[in-house]
Amino acid sequence: MKIGRTIAAAVLGFLFLLFVAADLVLFGVVPLNSVVVTILPAAGLVLGAVLGALAGNRRRPPEEFPQELPQEPMQSEPFAPPSPA
Amino acid sequence: MGRALWLAPAVVAGVVLVASAGKAAAHVETDNGCKGSGTFREKGLFVDAEQIGDQVVTIPRSDTVDWDGSVTAPPGGYSGNIAVDLPPPFSEWVVDTWSGTSQKTSNSGARKYDLPSLVPAGVEFQLRGYHNDDNGFCNGYVNLQLDGGPFDSPATPVSLVATVATGAGLFGTIRPLFRRGGTL
Repeated sequence: MKIGRTIAAAVLGFLFLLFVAADLVLFGVVPLNSVVVTILPAAGLVLGAVLGALAGNRRRPPEEFPQELPQEPMQSEPFAPPSPA
Repeated sequence: MGRALWLAPAVVAGVVLVASAGKAAAHVETDNGCKGSGTFREKGLFVDAEQIGDQVVTIPRSDTVDWDGSVTAPPGGYSGNIAVDLPPPFSEWVVDTWSGTSQKTSNSGARKYDLPSLVPAGVEFQLRGYHNDDNGFCNGYVNLQLDGGPFDSPATPVSLVATVATGAGLFGTIRPLFRRGGTL
């Protein structure tokens, strides 16, 4: 598990749903004193942490790993300096 | 895993729908026979705390309110306040308070107000009043909203931009979840 990704996702989840709650209030969907304004940021914190932890555990598929690097053929003959014209 | 990704937003949407269901717009509880009302001069709007019913009252951004209040018997020692109810864990934002001793059973006055443009329009908020005297108590609330649309306040575009920015950041952080072929 990557702790950094978990914390970042938790903070971003909190902020994202905090602003979603603010949008809902500003557009008159929920009243100012609604408990939704409290629940959404808290849910974002938990949800973000869970998704961040899951994302941190996710391994990349094998096809995304770099394949064997192409290797240049070995020079079979020693390097010969150009002969003067 | 795929089901969980869709379930979480569905639960959040359900909470929003249930908690935003309508509730009574005005309510008064009293055992000292209190009454209170106000008239918005420019709009010509009369609001009685007891009779306003279930409607949300739309008020102008600036106006002068002629208010009056009364109780049935001389109050003696009294105190009270008016406050805007805020979402939990915040309690309330006190707008005005009063206290003292009096034998008058009614009072009235006029108060001019002019709310700044930062205060968003169209947002439903609850104004609560409380009054306590030697004869009993009186409390009630009325649901109000400012005249206008959401984009009358600069807070709305700021909030929308912040929503998109933090949403993009969150998506970028959990992006490995949406990658095909990955394993846990």
